[in-house]
Amino acid sequence: MNKTTKRGYALLPVIAAFLVGACILVYLYAAKGALWSSSRANAHLFTSGSLSTAGTIYDTTGKTLAKTKNGRRVFSDSRALRRATLHIVGDGAGVISTGAHSAYKSKLSGYNFISGIYDIQKYGRGNDLTLAISGDACVAAYNALGNYNGAVGVFNYKTGALVCCMSAPNYDVNNPPSNPNDYDGLYLNRLFSGVYTPGSTMKIVTALCALENIPDIASRTFHCDGKIRIGTGDVICMGVHGDISFEKALNQSCNCAFAQIAQMLGRDKLMTTARALGFNTPIRTDGIQLAISSFDVRQADDLNLGWAGVGQYETLVNPCHMMMILGAIANGGQGVQPAVIRSMQSPAGVTVYKSMTRNSSIVIPAAQASEMRRLLRSNVERQYGDSRFPNLKMCGKTGTAELDGKTSHSWFVGFSQREDLPLAVVVVAENAGSGSGVAMNTANAVMQSLLQNKIQ
Amino acid sequence: MANAYSADIPVSGSGTVKTEKKAVNKPFRWGLMLLFVTIFQLFSFFPVAFADGELHQMSALVFGIYIAAEWIYLALAHLIGQRNDFPLEILAFFLSGIGLTICGSIYETYALKQLIAIGLGLVSFTALTWLLRSIDRAMLLRVPLAVASLALLALNLVLAKTTNGALNWITIGSFSFQPSELVKVAFIFVGAATLEKLQETRSLTKYLIFSVACVGALFLMRDFGAALIFFFTFLLIAFMRSGDFRTLLLVSAAALLGALLVVYFKPYVANRFATYRHVWDYINDKGFQQTRVLIYSASGGLLGLGVGNGKLRNVFAASTDLVFGLVCEEMGLLLGLLILFVFAFVAFYAVRGARRSSSAFYSIAAVSAAGMLLFQLSLNVFGVTDLLPMTGVTLPFISRGGTSVICAWCLFAFIKSVSFNIGDTKPYRGRKPGVRV
Repeated sequence: MNKTTKRGYALLPVIAAFLVGACILVYLYAAKGALWSSSRANAHLFTSGSLSTAGTIYDTTGKTLAKTKNGRRVFSDSRALRRATLHIVGDGAGVISTGAHSAYKSKLSGYNFISGIYDIQKYGRGNDLTLAISGDACVAAYNALGNYNGAVGVFNYKTGALVCCMSAPNYDVNNPPSNPNDYDGLYLNRLFSGVYTPGSTMKIVTALCALENIPDIASRTFHCDGKIRIGTGDVICMGVHGDISFEKALNQSCNCAFAQIAQMLGRDKLMTTARALGFNTPIRTDGIQLAISSFDVRQADDLNLGWAGVGQYETLVNPCHMMMILGAIANGGQGVQPAVIRSMQSPAGVTVYKSMTRNSSIVIPAAQASEMRRLLRSNVERQYGDSRFPNLKMCGKTGTAELDGKTSHSWFVGFSQREDLPLAVVVVAENAGSGSGVAMNTANAVMQSLLQNKIQ
Repeated sequence: MANAYSADIPVSGSGTVKTEKKAVNKPFRWGLMLLFVTIFQLFSFFPVAFADGELHQMSALVFGIYIAAEWIYLALAHLIGQRNDFPLEILAFFLSGIGLTICGSIYETYALKQLIAIGLGLVSFTALTWLLRSIDRAMLLRVPLAVASLALLALNLVLAKTTNGALNWITIGSFSFQPSELVKVAFIFVGAATLEKLQETRSLTKYLIFSVACVGALFLMRDFGAALIFFFTFLLIAFMRSGDFRTLLLVSAAALLGALLVVYFKPYVANRFATYRHVWDYINDKGFQQTRVLIYSASGGLLGLGVGNGKLRNVFAASTDLVFGLVCEEMGLLLGLLILFVFAFVAFYAVRGARRSSSAFYSIAAVSAAGMLLFQLSLNVFGVTDLLPMTGVTLPFISRGGTSVICAWCLFAFIKSVSFNIGDTKPYRGRKPGVRV
């Protein structure tokens, strides 16, 4: 009999397994509750497919970008503002997946693990979000970019606040296109989800690698005849620069010099620098997944290695990622993550979230960052001219990404060194030609707007 | 009945003396515990009885009767001097009350039906505890119960009426019930009630045949959840009886092989489990129920949105198979977890009690009943939350449905049996061999 009664212990492992299951369940609720509850199928939050219970979305100056009125989402009164902020605010139905209405739907619903979505029950709406963007700066970007497609981003390289985010093509959320297939990637926020051939902006990466690996790079000179023969073909340059120093090569964006530098560095060193700068790795910022920038020269022949050094070859860069690299250079080498949200208020009026500065994985040794700042400042002072950026104390680099059979993409990346304007900017204007044209003008227009409105 | 309860002969060596001493000062404690349960129930009943600002008389009446019944039961049990070393009934009242609340919040008639079911459950519980107090009495019922069970399942197979893809209902007039629930009780009864010569192959073989018949019938009804529960319980009982791991491994391997053959020849069985761990990919078809459970139970937070304020209730089977999600959404994850811990606690009590129970019959009955409940609970709760494949079994005591509630109460009677003093029964060694089958 004793034996039989003892055999009851066989149930103990079953009880233990059951309790482990219960713990897993609790863990899953804590880890995934926000995701689950913010599903589009949640009738507490969505009415006929629209996030009708979301709180109000403001820009950093308190301008209303979206709110719920009579059970429907309504957006800003200004058409330009609606279009300029379309991709960052998103739409009520959530077709723009990186827009706040999608990416932050659980925040907008007021969900938390303790009380679930009880706030919606009590107040009829969730949390209010204040975004870091300035509506005016987005409109300035929208106007300056004109009819070109592309992306504009500005963020504070010290705090991370993403003060401008604009993507084109866009549409008026009050009047969505009936046939979105006519547009290529209309719903994509090109700042977060786009990738482009970087053109000469990639010379920043090559230069950083050179500063790290070739101690006397600053005193070296390179020769440019307008093209340089490497292996089976030529790397073509925009000009004939003759004998040219490292600094001047960057100023004048000499392809011959940078193709030679890439040869000197070799595949492994370029790969190592690229990896340290965040290439080929997924980057998340404020809950948003950026498109991965890709750089791979492991299989490239010498000619292509040269092209890769000047930003052609197969390299593709996400604009937001490039902006983060510039931010790290500006911030003494330590990168910070762009933050879309500035703060969040519960319906009871309590601030339940405040953006904090979060370091990114991009770190550049301080000495190289400092030298890079000098070189990028020299670009503006000696090449582009401070008159292109009045009062901005700007550093930067243009890029002209050559495409087969199409007009080049126009890039500008840079940052201001003004104490009261610690902002880094990226502009990509598709098929707009030289970087010193549309892209640089757009960057200036946005930065002037931010300077005028004292936004950082 | 009075005789059974009044017998009070301490027997040394089985730990019952200790139990008795404790029991003397316990009624007050259990009264206090029931008071807490009642306060909880008042809080959960009130918004249902006064939903939308008006008094719903039938619901109020149902809840009033329910609370009164709890106190009357406890008072009577105290009056007739029932020794109570564990508040099993109070836990059953607590769990049943949650189910009653949810029924009342859907339709008043559901509450009335559920109240009647709980009443029948309580009566069955009392009758079964009385029956179990005499092992001789219990032994007499073994064969008839086994025969009746198989007959019931056979009848079910003949009359099979498809409900939600399973053929496990019998409908007589406006009254429908699930035979498999009643057979669960008989399954444990028959399995446990073999005292003499536990290792005797013949008796175990008979039980094996009975088990195969039950599981097979459930499989034919496509009630895979119930079949799994029976199989698990069979393993537990067989181990308790024989202590033979090797045979059980063999049986499990054979069952696994059988299951694989079924999946091979009848692929639609495997299809039922295709959504497992992929419910979000089938959010509007095969994963509909699980995703809604996850969405809405997460929405409820720790304390819930309040009874009647949820959205899961609009989903099919919300008050039956998916009731765990409904409880979490409207009454909170904390209550959902409390329910899980109550069952774990009861299972623990059964194991502990089995160790010092006065008869192997009680030990086997209690452990297998607790195991059956825990296994069914796991299939239900982890099934609707996609930690396990969903099989469509009920949550004992809480899911709406008469037979399920009655079965749960009966299973608690088996667990209760470990607290029976050997003095209540005839000592097992002295019994006549004639009653053995």
